[in-house]
Amino acid sequence: MAARRVGVSSWYRVLSLSRRCGRCSSTNTALGKTVENSEGAQEEIVLPRRKTWDKLAVLQTLASTVKRDPTAAHYMFHDDPYLMPKNSATARLFSLSKESGRNAAKYIIKEFPHFFDKILAEPNIPSLMPEICTPQIEGVSEEALRERINLRMVKASVDLFDQLLQAGTSISLETTNSLLDLLCFYGDGESTQEKESEEKEDLEESEVNASEQETPKRPPQRGSHPFASRWRENNNAERIFKIMPERNAHSYCTMIRGMVKHGASAKAYDMYTELLNDRHKADVHTFNALITAVPFLKDRFLERWELIKMFLNHMAQQEVQPNVQTFNAVLKTLRRCGGVGRSMAVPVIKEMEALEIEPSLATYDHLLSIFYRSADLASSGIISEVLDDVEKRSFTPQDPDDAKFFISAMQVCCDLKDIKLAYRLNKAVEKGDNWKFLDMDRLNSYWSRFFSLLCMMEQIDVVLKWYKEMSPSLFYPSPKNILDFLQALDAANHLEMIPSVWEDMKQLGFSKRRDLLEEVLSLMSRDQHPEEIQLAFAKCAEDIKTVHEQSGRDQASVEWTGSALGSVTVLFSRAGRTQDAWSMMERFQQINRIPTDLVMDEFLNCAKQTNSPDEAIKLVKLAASLGLPSSQKLKSRVEKEFKLSENQNARQKELRAAQGKSRH
Amino acid sequence: MWRFTAFEALLGPEDYNPDVTLPVHSSGAGRNAVARNARRSSRSRPAALKGRRGCERRAEGAMWGRLCGSGRILLLAGAARHCGRPHSRTQKLFSTSSVLSATEDEPTAPADSTTKVASKEGAAETPKQKLLKMIGDMKVEVTTKRKFQQLKEQEIKKQATNKQEGLHGGSSTFQNSAEDVQRSKPLNPELVQAASAVASSFPHNKEQAESELLAQLRRHEETTDKQRRGGTINICNVISEMTVKRQSPAQRGVRISNRISLEMDEDGQRIKPGRPSSHSDSGRSLKAGKRLNIFTKASPETENALKTVSSPTIWDLEFAKEIAAVTEQPPRNGFEEMIQWTKEGILWEFPIDNEAGMDDGAEFHEHIFLEKHLKDFPKQGPIRHFMELVICGLSKNPYLSVKQKIEHIEWFRNYFEEKKEFLQEI
Repeated sequence: MAARRVGVSSWYRVLSLSRRCGRCSSTNTALGKTVENSEGAQEEIVLPRRKTWDKLAVLQTLASTVKRDPTAAHYMFHDDPYLMPKNSATARLFSLSKESGRNAAKYIIKEFPHFFDKILAEPNIPSLMPEICTPQIEGVSEEALRERINLRMVKASVDLFDQLLQAGTSISLETTNSLLDLLCFYGDGESTQEKESEEKEDLEESEVNASEQETPKRPPQRGSHPFASRWRENNNAERIFKIMPERNAHSYCTMIRGMVKHGASAKAYDMYTELLNDRHKADVHTFNALITAVPFLKDRFLERWELIKMFLNHMAQQEVQPNVQTFNAVLKTLRRCGGVGRSMAVPVIKEMEALEIEPSLATYDHLLSIFYRSADLASSGIISEVLDDVEKRSFTPQDPDDAKFFISAMQVCCDLKDIKLAYRLNKAVEKGDNWKFLDMDRLNSYWSRFFSLLCMMEQIDVVLKWYKEMSPSLFYPSPKNILDFLQALDAANHLEMIPSVWEDMKQLGFSKRRDLLEEVLSLMSRDQHPEEIQLAFAKCAEDIKTVHEQSGRDQASVEWTGSALGSVTVLFSRAGRTQDAWSMMERFQQINRIPTDLVMDEFLNCAKQTNSPDEAIKLVKLAASLGLPSSQKLKSRVEKEFKLSENQNARQKELRAAQGKSRH
Repeated sequence: MWRFTAFEALLGPEDYNPDVTLPVHSSGAGRNAVARNARRSSRSRPAALKGRRGCERRAEGAMWGRLCGSGRILLLAGAARHCGRPHSRTQKLFSTSSVLSATEDEPTAPADSTTKVASKEGAAETPKQKLLKMIGDMKVEVTTKRKFQQLKEQEIKKQATNKQEGLHGGSSTFQNSAEDVQRSKPLNPELVQAASAVASSFPHNKEQAESELLAQLRRHEETTDKQRRGGTINICNVISEMTVKRQSPAQRGVRISNRISLEMDEDGQRIKPGRPSSHSDSGRSLKAGKRLNIFTKASPETENALKTVSSPTIWDLEFAKEIAAVTEQPPRNGFEEMIQWTKEGILWEFPIDNEAGMDDGAEFHEHIFLEKHLKDFPKQGPIRHFMELVICGLSKNPYLSVKQKIEHIEWFRNYFEEKKEFLQEI
């Protein structure tokens, strides 16, 4: 939009310039002509005396010119190269640390505003100033109560309310209702601000206690409800509700919503019947809350559906218009109604259509989970219809569950193994602002599912293209992704890529994962490859060897397994690195493992190629000392294939004698 | 399925109608067929009894029937058919157990009283144990066998039920029954051998030994019967789990928790097996179908009327926050970060503008170009020169409004007007 505005205004400028000088310039005839032709239409254009700009227009235009750099991590990590995340775990950690650092700074400035006396700015910047959290109005009055309610001080408000009541002051219905709102929202617990200050007190009292309590009392996660306290019997909200001289619909509604939010569904239902008895009407939010509580009210699926229908009918009777959240609540409940849900979901959608309520992404998410949760996944009809709808529109958030759609849709694509659907879905994600629905964690799991599907279904070059495109900038592959990728490479016969994958694995910090190491080694050592590939593989093997042998101060090194050792030996042997291979051979003895025949054969081949009979004899010795049945065969091979010197022959004989002895 | 077993136990000893055994092989899926068979068999029972009367081997059949009515359904099938058809191949099976069968005629009454006596006899110990152990084993084998054979045999069985209306059905039924017995063959000879071994080890107290054996078997019968009732339910579960697993390869990726919560709903009822419903699902579409017809579309006036709401409550505020959090994203590049800062009011607004924060309604040029206010001053001379310097200073002063600047110039004009005479004197 902004870009267009800039473009258009500059175009006007060009036009007006060309109108002034265009006719006299012979080179600019074409432009001049168009101007003349359209002059009649453009006569109306009045240049504004002054152009008012949106304050974000320039920045938005500039931002739209910056494309994602596929090789770089997310912008938020650019500050410090040392703090570049390597995998999804560190990315999560770093982003959370950044945010918590910000919160810590805010906390300090809020707690100790008197230390910051040079913070006046011209013009003043309110968002950098500490918030005012202490009540300004002293004394016992309704005004003071209202201020405390606005500051969300639950306890203080209740105390003040009681004081007012004792003093015999009548409190207006409106104020009492907003107090009820506050109490019901926080479930008579404390708001987060108060919790923090309480925690601080704990900290001061006894540090041990506080550290124990810190873990459960973490700040609420984004997007989810703060871990709500349960609704207690006769809590302040109920008490105040009971002693209210008059109640209106709002008082009932807020009680119902609070009870549903804090898990007292049965009570909420009773409250609703009371509301009906008092001849009030509930509002749409209350109905939404009641519908979400249905699974806790009834056990049988059919009963649940009947109850939903009853609420919807009541809405129609009370002339309450449903909104998109109503239908989302219905569908969310239908998710927990098994077969009934499957049969009733379509009529619900139809009803939405008839009322011209546009479904939000959460609607589609519920639909997918209703139809694809069961074991049966044969039908791809519903999801492709959903995608048809999603492709047509761009979405704004309307429901907290909206964010789940893209992930669950990708999961369905994976379960159906339908790559075409996945591509369509991905198009939809890239459209407009839809990408915003995937926050960092979700983005990671979305892409990792997509990537696994790609590995399973796509040509290897397409997979590689995607891999290069997304690897560090969009998501960090999980170990499973790497495993899938290796298998895709194997299936497509592109094993020469493995060294570069190994580099990536090191980058991602997966170099100590035994399953991945084994997979890499077994793929590399399985077949014979051309020489340069073997050399690259041997380099890889050396890396893996150091991984096994480095003894970091605090990390335990990976222990050798027989197969890993064998694979590394084979890789060294095939690359002609006899010395390295021999050192690996010796390690077999150290860790009490026995090399397989294949390993020893490969080693002998290598010894032969590099013409090092000493190593060959050593191998025979080793085999003999381990008492391997293949030692005889190896010995005869050595005798046949190597030209042994006198000395070596003697040693060979010694060996034979020793063997003979041990046999007798 | 276990509904049937109760029924069978009822029929078990006396009425060895061949039909009775049939439903045993039918799986849970054919539950209706079981009921149908059961009904039919009860109807045909009188005829069967009549036909069987005079059958010499009735007692033996009764014994086997009682023995097997509990746990050994396949055996019952064999025995029952066998006694209905004295010259069948199955007879050979039982002929080796002549000792056992011969003494079975007066078994039941003294059985309990003799049990204790018999149990003291050490000689019988090993073969008896062998027998008991085998019986225990058999139970297991039969159940597993049942599981595996069910599917295969179901069709054969159906054919059998269709044909075997009376006792004298076609020869095909006979073949089927023979087949059954052959399936259970690995069990039979062992049992028979053991039984004869037991019998031969009691040269004098044959009968006592037999009755003791029978008592033991009956006890077994009771316990297995009880356990089987529980057991069949377990088997049902096993089978139902098997069906679940058979579906699962298609959806390996789906998390287990999902699977569990789906297959077994919270009611504890099983959702009807996936397949039939799946077919209806695959035909399902969002386009087709009826609406609920609960709501009517609101007219615009009422909608507008509803929109006049009072000040937002804490619920509204928090919901708005939650919704905003759904699409909240950290900035992806420097410009987006600047956008964020601009929104927070931290950053100077773009495009950079000298008038930012000056809201006196005057425009830029009015602040800068002040010459037009010098019309009343002399065109040249020191006063003009002085005033030009004044407006130059004023045009650079951001702290005064246009009005103040004009007043300032005005002041000089008045001043010079007042001093005009003195100036002219000079």
